[in-house]
Amino acid sequence: MQEGIDVEQSAEPAETTANLAAPMDLRSSLAELRAVTIERLQDATTLEELALIETEVLGSESPIAVARRGLGSMPSEERRDAGRAINEVAKELANAVGDRRVALRAAVQREQIAAEAFDVTLDYERLPLGSLHLVQQVIDEVSDIFVGLGYKVAEGPEAELAWYNFDALNTPPDHPGRLESDTMYLDYGDAADEMLMRAHTSPIQARYMETHDPPVYIVAPGRAYRNDTIDATHLPVFHQIEGLAVDENITFSDLKGTLAEFARQYFGPETEVRMRPHYFPFTEPSAELDVSCFSCGGGSSSCRVCKGVGWLEMLGCGMVDPNVFVAVGYDPDAVTGFAFGMGVERLAMVRHGIDSMRIFVDNDVRFLAQYPGF
Amino acid sequence: MRVPLSWLREYIELPTSDVGEIAHAFDMLGHGVEDVLHLGVGWTDVRIGRVERIEAHPDADQVRITHVDLGDGALHQIICGAWNFDAGAVVPVAVPGAVLPGGLEIGERKIRGVMSRGMICSERELGIGDVHEGIMVLGDDVAAGGLGSPLAEVIDLPDVVFDLEVTNNRPDAMGMVGVARELAAWFEVPYRWPTIALEATGGPPTTQVLISAPDGCNRFVARELRGLTVGPSPLWMRERLRRAGVRAISNVVDVTNYVMLELGHPLHAFDVDQIAGNMLDVRWAEEGEAIVTLDGVTRSLTPRDLVIVDADGPTSLAAVMGGARSEVEPVTVNVLMEAASWNPATVMYTSRRHDLRSEASARFERGVDPNLAPDANTRASALLAEIGGGAEVSDLIDVVANEVTPWDITLPIREVQRLLDDRFTVEASAAALRRLELEVEVEGDTLRVVVPTFRPDLTRGADLIEELARLADYDSFAATVPTGPVGGLTAEQRRTRHLQDVLRGLGLHQVINLPFVSHGELAAFAEGQVEGVVSVRNPLRDDQAKLRQSLLPGLVRNARDNFNRGADQVAVFEIGRTFHARPWGEDPRVPDQPVRVGVLVAGRFGNERIGRHRTDADAATALGIVGALGEAMGVVIERRQATPAGFHPTRAAQLTIDGRRVGIAGELHPEMAARFDIEGRAGVVELEVAPLVAERPPHQMTAISGYPHSDYDLSFDLPAGVTADRLVAVTSGASDLVEEARVFDEYRPAGPTRSLAITYRLRAADRTLASDEIEAARQAMIQAAGGLGATLRGSANKEDE
Repeated sequence: MQEGIDVEQSAEPAETTANLAAPMDLRSSLAELRAVTIERLQDATTLEELALIETEVLGSESPIAVARRGLGSMPSEERRDAGRAINEVAKELANAVGDRRVALRAAVQREQIAAEAFDVTLDYERLPLGSLHLVQQVIDEVSDIFVGLGYKVAEGPEAELAWYNFDALNTPPDHPGRLESDTMYLDYGDAADEMLMRAHTSPIQARYMETHDPPVYIVAPGRAYRNDTIDATHLPVFHQIEGLAVDENITFSDLKGTLAEFARQYFGPETEVRMRPHYFPFTEPSAELDVSCFSCGGGSSSCRVCKGVGWLEMLGCGMVDPNVFVAVGYDPDAVTGFAFGMGVERLAMVRHGIDSMRIFVDNDVRFLAQYPGF
Repeated sequence: MRVPLSWLREYIELPTSDVGEIAHAFDMLGHGVEDVLHLGVGWTDVRIGRVERIEAHPDADQVRITHVDLGDGALHQIICGAWNFDAGAVVPVAVPGAVLPGGLEIGERKIRGVMSRGMICSERELGIGDVHEGIMVLGDDVAAGGLGSPLAEVIDLPDVVFDLEVTNNRPDAMGMVGVARELAAWFEVPYRWPTIALEATGGPPTTQVLISAPDGCNRFVARELRGLTVGPSPLWMRERLRRAGVRAISNVVDVTNYVMLELGHPLHAFDVDQIAGNMLDVRWAEEGEAIVTLDGVTRSLTPRDLVIVDADGPTSLAAVMGGARSEVEPVTVNVLMEAASWNPATVMYTSRRHDLRSEASARFERGVDPNLAPDANTRASALLAEIGGGAEVSDLIDVVANEVTPWDITLPIREVQRLLDDRFTVEASAAALRRLELEVEVEGDTLRVVVPTFRPDLTRGADLIEELARLADYDSFAATVPTGPVGGLTAEQRRTRHLQDVLRGLGLHQVINLPFVSHGELAAFAEGQVEGVVSVRNPLRDDQAKLRQSLLPGLVRNARDNFNRGADQVAVFEIGRTFHARPWGEDPRVPDQPVRVGVLVAGRFGNERIGRHRTDADAATALGIVGALGEAMGVVIERRQATPAGFHPTRAAQLTIDGRRVGIAGELHPEMAARFDIEGRAGVVELEVAPLVAERPPHQMTAISGYPHSDYDLSFDLPAGVTADRLVAVTSGASDLVEEARVFDEYRPAGPTRSLAITYRLRAADRTLASDEIEAARQAMIQAAGGLGATLRGSANKEDE
């Protein structure tokens, strides 16, 4: 870069182009110097050239400097006019040099800018970008929705006592869910304390109620285990979010309203819900919750998402069975409550157009990277 | 359960014929409609024909030429590709001009030079069934209505079939009559039973029945039918069975199925003449006993299997499948029609153990009403007598091991209102329950309810409240939102979110792995012997029978899988539990299952600039991630050289927080990488999450000095065994002016020593540093380094820059 050249100090003084000493010649010489210099400035194409001219014309050995030094020997009546004339030309030339410098600098910068053009469509630099697993994102989002409704987030062990997984939840001893074909059992500990990989997140409820007095408002996300081989609709390990509200006057309407609020926040403000009776051992009454199809709103017979049904089966829920309260030491006459459990993978699949559960455990970075976050 | 509307209408006159409204009623009753099948729609002009003659096609061996009588005095030549029929078969024929479902128009066309005028159809082609192996062969009796008659008229089409998901607690809704009872309660209309009446003509039965296992069988009801003719059942019955999804077999078997579908009570028919010793006994099987079931399979039994035995041993796997020995055959003339009530748990156990789940087991598992058995038997016997050629029917055998009688429930109305709402007055509630055939007496504010034995699911007030909510229509409830007193995440939960965000920010993708591993995978990362393993008793696969003790086997698998898919980079993390056979702190009864975070980075990683040489991840990356995590979480994670199993022996560190071992970081052992098809190096980290996310006091700000800094570099030769962090700590500690110290180069000539270049930044909080104090600090550092055996290699003072 050339702009740093210090015109005051660099460049040897050049030979003077005119002798301005003689007063008679002074005016014409100044005029000539002015004219020649203006022309030279116009011809200068680099900042170095410009600096040379500046030194020659305005430097300490320049004709103008020499003329100034000669002023002292001039008769005083001439001195003023001569001095004024010299200053005028000097000022004019200094301005001209300055203007030219600005112009040349601008040209240099233009050139440089042109030379370093970027193709902005090219990723010159890629910064690493990771992602949270879609299942994690849904868990966090749903947890936050309920946190907003005044819930806490509870956790619990995945290797769990059969008692919390089944008995505390009013599951009959001969319930098929207890069979080895459905549930994974562990070889661990006392034979009396049968151990399994929890088949749902509901044991977290039971443990929480055992250790906390009502009121209880919790959601409990986590992994659940079933003895299923991996296919499009089954995973041996999947995720649920359990919800539980226990208070003095919790009603069936509260369950409905809470899940409706959840559905609106998760699927969109226009979402409607419908509850249908169902059967679960740990709730009574029990229900399945459908949400109106967020894709077609229930209006399209050719909808890809709801297959024209208009509703999407979303989760199981109900009022906590009094036997569950008894099992965890609550007084069923003093409190009521509701519980719900939803499949995280299902929540993700429905909203994000995923048609096979396999993808959740493939851990294929091409899938993971598609969901960098909200 | 499949419910054909045409069949259902025999028991109820519905106030609507709108399929959507009926489906909605089922849904809101809790019998979810999984599918609605419209049978016999979308086609025209399919007629009854009889194949009179069949001949080979001269130019095609996949099809045959049939000549079909359509009742118009001519034989119609139709080419057919199905081979499941012979001359004489009565078949559905789509005549030229007919349209089939999907819009297929049937015309006259040549097939390989031979004219074909129409098409013989399969069930699936007509959209009335699933069968497509061969064409639909109708019974000879269908032709009685006249060849050429429209099929739709002969078999009563169109029809609608509702496929219902009946919940596990509702045996009563597993039959057409029970379904009609439910709809009657919903629509508030009457319903009716089929005629249950029989004239016993055959006198006392010859077979003696015993129940030696009263804990497995409540009641055994039977009748003998003598002198019947086994043959096909009539068209109407076959067609109903077909629409309900049951294959017609013979009149005897069809009647048992028909009554099962109608009343919800399964039945079984024995060939009386194959019952040894004229006796049947219900008892638990003995160890080592076996039975050959109807399907020809020999099944070994345990004392948990319930069997019906005759004088020669087991002759039926009770409730689950009949025995081959007493099976009704075409030559059978005397039949024992059994309707028994079995223990649901037993049926569940045996049907699953022998993988013999059936329509019958699905009902018994729900708990069929023992008091329905006589009616079911009477209905079946009467039907079989009617269609089986006028058999004589014996008196009823009725052995009751346990009498089941209706029971009472007391329900204070405030319990209903507390859970539902104020609409549920005593009167309204009593009326609703009566619609379900419960007997209700109102005593003040309390309902006294007598529950009939067909509703074993109703045992407590809570069960009745559900019935009331159900009949009120779930749609009718208001929606209100209670809010909890205090919501929010705990500090640990918030910091765990932060942890995962930091990992994401570092460019890592979160994975979720199954926690099941093989012994080999456990051994790969185990120090010494594999110990403290928790095993799955009934694993999905034998090589996935152990619970992981480390997240690394899963992450290594992820790397391998992604490289195999063509990835040139794998940067993943997982937050999940590992399992160890030692008591868990929060509940010593369950195994320890700490949450850990694991990281694996392999292949190119970090910022990438085009034209710039790429950097591949290795141990440095892993250590860098540890450093970043520590900094981001506000935790000092100390690293010490270590040789954990599965790691590169000279490129691994043990990690500690506050002196406690919390994990490992480094490079995957080259052998391990090769074993998992990972080319090149892989940086791996595994850390306990709890100490990372534990709540910490809020950070208190360190004052930021406004005075100028002074930088200089020092380069030290280090003896073996002195670590970088030690050198940095000791030299920085030599002066209280050090604001920051960072190693910027490592030089490792051959031999045990190496040199490290460190840049120091000095700054005082309250003044501009004087050159003599800077020099003093520098000398102090050099001296301190000397205490470690490190000597100054050279220095460059940058302070004047």
